[in-house]
Amino acid sequence: MTITIKSTLAVAAVTLASALPIAAGAQAASNQTYPTKPVRLVVAFPAGGSTDIIARLVGQRLGERLGQPVVVDNRGGAGGTIGTEIAAKAAPDGHTLTMGTTSTHVIAPAAYAKVNYDPVKDFEPLTLVASTPYLLVLNPGVKANNLKEFIALAKSQPGKLNFASAGTGSTTQLAMEMLKLAAGIDIVHVPYNGNGPAGTAVLGGQVQALFGSMPAVLPHAQAGRLRPIGVGTAKRSPALPNVPTVAESGFPGFEVSLWLGFFAPKGTPKPILARLQKELTDIANNPEMKAAFEKNGASSVTNTPAEMNALMKAELEKYSKVVKAVGIELK
Amino acid sequence: MEELFANLALGFQTAVTLQNLIYCFIGVFVGTLVGVLPGIGPLAAIAMLLPATFNLPPVGALIMLAGIYYGTQYGGSTTAILVNLPGESASVVTCMDGHAMAKNGRAGPALAIAAVGSFFAGTVGTILIALFGPPLAEVALKFGAPEYFSLMTMGLIASAVLASGSMLKAIAMIFLGLIFGIVGTDVNSGMSRFTFGASGLADGLSFVVVAMGLFGFGEILSNLEKGEEASSRDLLNAKLTHLYPTWEDIKLSTGSIIRGTAIGAFFGTLPGAGPTISAFSAYALEKKVAKNPEMFGKGAIQGVAGPESANNAAAQCAFIPTLTLGIPGSGTMALMLGALTIQGIAPGPQVMTQRPELFWGLIASMWIGNAMLVILNLPLVGLWVKLLRVPYRLLFPAILTFMAIGVYSVNNLDLDIYLTVFFGLMGYVFVKLKCEPAPLILAFVLGPLMEENLRRALLISRGDPLVFFNRPISATFLILTILLLVVMILPAVRKKREVAYQEPPSA
Repeated sequence: MTITIKSTLAVAAVTLASALPIAAGAQAASNQTYPTKPVRLVVAFPAGGSTDIIARLVGQRLGERLGQPVVVDNRGGAGGTIGTEIAAKAAPDGHTLTMGTTSTHVIAPAAYAKVNYDPVKDFEPLTLVASTPYLLVLNPGVKANNLKEFIALAKSQPGKLNFASAGTGSTTQLAMEMLKLAAGIDIVHVPYNGNGPAGTAVLGGQVQALFGSMPAVLPHAQAGRLRPIGVGTAKRSPALPNVPTVAESGFPGFEVSLWLGFFAPKGTPKPILARLQKELTDIANNPEMKAAFEKNGASSVTNTPAEMNALMKAELEKYSKVVKAVGIELK
Repeated sequence: MEELFANLALGFQTAVTLQNLIYCFIGVFVGTLVGVLPGIGPLAAIAMLLPATFNLPPVGALIMLAGIYYGTQYGGSTTAILVNLPGESASVVTCMDGHAMAKNGRAGPALAIAAVGSFFAGTVGTILIALFGPPLAEVALKFGAPEYFSLMTMGLIASAVLASGSMLKAIAMIFLGLIFGIVGTDVNSGMSRFTFGASGLADGLSFVVVAMGLFGFGEILSNLEKGEEASSRDLLNAKLTHLYPTWEDIKLSTGSIIRGTAIGAFFGTLPGAGPTISAFSAYALEKKVAKNPEMFGKGAIQGVAGPESANNAAAQCAFIPTLTLGIPGSGTMALMLGALTIQGIAPGPQVMTQRPELFWGLIASMWIGNAMLVILNLPLVGLWVKLLRVPYRLLFPAILTFMAIGVYSVNNLDLDIYLTVFFGLMGYVFVKLKCEPAPLILAFVLGPLMEENLRRALLISRGDPLVFFNRPISATFLILTILLLVVMILPAVRKKREVAYQEPPSA
């Protein structure tokens, strides 16, 4: 028995030793020729949504730069976990990439009882490309003109006000839950099926408040049909310079936004990763692309893989706390 | 009024150029071609064709999209009539009498009346958007959870009218539909229900899967049993009496088209189940007012004209919340909204004032798309009808292949194909048991919305059920529902009801 194992090991060692240079050679070759076929960009949300639009905008440019088309593959469903799992398990040869977001790489792993991928261990982060702020809006009928008044109002009638969200465990819910915890207020969560219906509910006054994604609520805020009382980002939004951030209204450090970035499956060869990082960073910094993002309510952001990993770890910790405090567990 | 004409003139000025008309034609043509493939409904067709418009100038892209939208929608009705395959929930109604007409050799008139009814409804819808778009959108905002729940309840009760067989079977079908509708993630708690651990079921069963299985697959299975000779006889040997509607058909349909349009325009502005509720309500109404209710389900032309007009008017008016509020009413609308965003138009309250030429250009292109559709499709009716002459041994495998592609293309999930087979087998059993799948489909579509809104209404009212009666719109729907029930139960009308729901023994 021992002999067999030993000899097997020996054979394995020899094979490994001889295979290594070949693998290295193959890597060098693939590096010269990458990409050899169209690149699949998995988008874990349906076509036409905001993540899909950003992915297509960037994907088209990336295709032009790589000399091979980038094909968007929409694999929506289950809060983005289906598509992300597909990308995590794809061959790590640079021909499959995915557009990861706060939803797929932070919230889903934090809120779902079981997710079949690890946002940090199963992916090679490339770079962020865009981020969308969240905006706290009220129905104009609510008697509160700013965040302080809103909190005072909520405190004077605990459990009476309602807030809408795009669904249980969505960023829009967690953003408000975070504020509730920080301010010590009691507002009842009313989940809707997506950002659109949630916005409509606040527009129609069925529900009083919403921590909505900027593209969904900004037009209504600008038209005066929703009252913006707080921006979720660290800095004020250029689109609404008069609206203070939540952080400056008495909650230092408060920050909620939805970021979108590119990921490759773990194990994708380093030279390919470097090439993709460079191209994607260039694309996201292109003035034309910046303008296109802004039209879609997002702003262009880039960072390094190390920064992306740090961001994910920090956000996972932040959201896991909220998820635990509120008692959300999606199954 | 003057302003309206000025606005419409601006719109047509923007939209009517030779180049744009060509875009529109391409859109309608490709949309019809793709939409007519069995299994590929408007949603899948638009998703496939959408990227083709990304590189066009904004107005050109919009007008092509409008063409694709109407083309695919009409293509969906074509498959419903010819091969009993509803492309989306509203077409389920068209299947019932449309396909029956095809079996009687009257596929031509059914297709033509569907096109004409849709055009009329589309024209009225366009005028309504131009006249009342923004105020109508305000009405949609008045609809909260209690209103939706009461509306859905009314729709569900009315759907019992759809059954031409026994009432008991219809109710059984409704309950089955409600159960299938429960599958997926519960909006309130985020918990999965009846998914058996399959992540592909987390968002519930897809409409395409259930409809393709029950209608398409089931129909094919039951036809195979009869053998090619016998099953082909239905469609082939039926005399193709007229390719186009007779004078009698037109007289019968005119009222239906007008009533259908009114119903569609009313429900269409409500985001959610506008077209479906409209089509089913129009069918129910036509059956009530018709002089020949016993013909419904066996090829009554009013059963095609009314719902098709209602569906199209609603589809048109669905643009009102989409454009003015930025709220997509359906999956298809969500895609259109995405396309607008890609073109740099953020739909919402400001689009009308900030980009009037685009807003009115889109409205004009809707009408042009509708007109182009009629011009293109009336001559093509003959061609579509010839499709029925393709022998079943060729037609069936082709339909099954396209159906599999269509089902797969919605979510790119292979599980969906297996589920379609499952529902196909179920559809076959239903054919054997003489159970009609239409009420099941309606309950499947409305059930989840009903549950969601019931629980939401009670959550907001903190558990007080009076919320459904305190709000005038909601109370009105509930009173209508009760009236409907009374009409069904009262012995005085039972006789009439029997005519309406029971097949005569001779059939």
